[in-house]
Amino acid sequence: MGEFIQFTLNGLMSGAIYALIAVGIVSVFKATKVVNFAHGYIIMFGAYFYFTFSVIVPGAAWAPDWLQSWEPAWMVAMKADLPMFSPMGAVLDWLSNLPRIILGLAGAVICNALLGLLIERTLMRPLIGQSTFAMIMITVGLISVLSGTKGLIWTADAEFVPHIAPNTPIRLNLFDTPIFLFGADLVNVAVALLLFGAIVAMVRYTKSGVAIRATAEDQSTAYSMGISVPRVFSRAWVLAATTGAIAGAILATRNGVSPSLGLFGFSVLAIVLMGGLDSYVGVFIAALTVGFLEAMAQWQFGGEFAEVVPYIAVLVVILIRPHGLFGQKEVERI
Amino acid sequence: MITGDLKATYAADERVLNNGYKQAFVLAMAALCALMPFIANDYIILVASQMGIMLIAVVGVNVVIGYTGLLSLGHAAFMAIGAYSVPILHRLMDNIGLPDGIMPFIAIPGAIAISAIVGIIVGLPSLRVKGLYLAVATLSANFIIIFLIELEALAPWTGGLVGLNTPDPNILGWVFDTQREMFALIAALAFVTILAIQNLFRTRVGRAFIAIRERDYSAEILGISLFRYKLMSFAISAACCRLAGALFAYFYARILPEQFELALSLQLVAALIVGGMGRTMGPVFGVMIIVMVPEVLKFTFGMVAGGAAEVAQLRAPVQEIVFGLLIIFFLMFEPLGINQLVDRGIRALNRWPFARG
Repeated sequence: MGEFIQFTLNGLMSGAIYALIAVGIVSVFKATKVVNFAHGYIIMFGAYFYFTFSVIVPGAAWAPDWLQSWEPAWMVAMKADLPMFSPMGAVLDWLSNLPRIILGLAGAVICNALLGLLIERTLMRPLIGQSTFAMIMITVGLISVLSGTKGLIWTADAEFVPHIAPNTPIRLNLFDTPIFLFGADLVNVAVALLLFGAIVAMVRYTKSGVAIRATAEDQSTAYSMGISVPRVFSRAWVLAATTGAIAGAILATRNGVSPSLGLFGFSVLAIVLMGGLDSYVGVFIAALTVGFLEAMAQWQFGGEFAEVVPYIAVLVVILIRPHGLFGQKEVERI
Repeated sequence: MITGDLKATYAADERVLNNGYKQAFVLAMAALCALMPFIANDYIILVASQMGIMLIAVVGVNVVIGYTGLLSLGHAAFMAIGAYSVPILHRLMDNIGLPDGIMPFIAIPGAIAISAIVGIIVGLPSLRVKGLYLAVATLSANFIIIFLIELEALAPWTGGLVGLNTPDPNILGWVFDTQREMFALIAALAFVTILAIQNLFRTRVGRAFIAIRERDYSAEILGISLFRYKLMSFAISAACCRLAGALFAYFYARILPEQFELALSLQLVAALIVGGMGRTMGPVFGVMIIVMVPEVLKFTFGMVAGGAAEVAQLRAPVQEIVFGLLIIFFLMFEPLGINQLVDRGIRALNRWPFARG
């Protein structure tokens, strides 16, 4: 029973991060009707930008020392007195990493926003008004371009990056079995949920959110109502790229940066389709479900089975409900 | 209006090679392929064989994406099934004690049947879902099939992560153990495949596919069974990919699961988009470009770097970027592919000196 709870918690935590990634795909789809096959690679870029600004830049010769490791006198004094593996030690470690974590996150978000803007301007905008098939296939081509560009810029593989929160282990006792949670994981989940909630609230209540929804409903009507559709498009891409940057940074802290982060995007794509492309609620439920199922598969059958869980789940779901769990059925007219 | 292309009889209009340019091109290619095993060097034979294998696969992809309009990103999996069923069937037949000479006659059709069945299974979602959902469904199928191949439990059959050694085909006692002989086989089968698919689209079945592409509901109202024809399209296309996979297995000494991952599916789609979707010659032009890109890059990098390891390392990423840019470029500036460029050229040639374009 205790093991079950442990795996359930792990699954739900990765599910929350799936939800954060999925929100990027859904936002772009809602605004532009384009499903971004390359979203996983945009996340990978976010992770590598985080790696660049939190590991490479602080490690450079010209960077000030406090950026690499901030250790004022009081912290050194406090550290000296602490026993090994104490929670306070983890917090202090995190504090001394804090400057480079902040630099890393800021750098990742800004660079990824620029990347999203660049993609939207050069590849998507010229095709506004044409069939979405071309735009979707362009994102397929973008997969190769992004993964190749990554290979040109960064040769690092499976490098580790600092956690974005103190990684204190938390030990609980439930049903007489110990359950381990890590502070960083909990903060990751909190960040993911907060961002997800913020984006859903933004789309529902703010003016630009209303513009996104109007564009999703009918582009030409939105145009005639004074909404700048191209601006909505670029906002959606920037939103997707920035959430992708944070998701990428979180993923990088969990497993290190590696090109396999790109493949992660495909399982999230499966999750998005499972939930229904245009429904935030459906995608959230699907993300948590897949996270849970993955953890169960990992527990019962071993790690390699977890990889195919999203794909099997999406096949089952779209065979039964072709538009996903909560997706809107498209009305087709001949 | 197209000028200089007069047809006096219906028979002339219905011919596969309905103008002089096509006749000249096909005859020249046939002559070239027939001569190649005798005159070309090993390197050219290797590249040409790769082209032939890719060509058969892309012709299959063209049936589903180009003619039937079903977006599929999982065709590498069909090639994988084709490639893997060859050594497995060979081993089975070894156990029964069949002579080597007739094995390919059973292995190739047998595995085409296997793959057509898998094609139908993968195509089943296409009855319920369309467009994007189908693309993701086929993509998922690709991941699942590769996963099954790599699975430990099936490793006695599939070799798992380390792959399988593949046999040389032995047709009635003639062992195809050199690449030159294999090239002859591949070229012949590629010609047959293109011809068969071209002919398919002059029949009821092919026209039904095109009707489904244009508007599936309208096609159904016209009396075309979507169930039957969508599955048939997937089966035919899977069978072509499977043939390509079988030749792949016969051509190379060893097959690995990672050769059939998403990158290959993307390459097949890239070749189709670059060449031109829904046209017979599209795959031919597309495959020429897609197979030539790595070779040209290899050549350029060799010239620039002269073997420096750091520069040579950059070749694989550059190759990926070029593939991606090719897809993007053609989608943005010439969505109908090279085929359209060639058509335009031929038209200009026909009208010259009276008009251009």
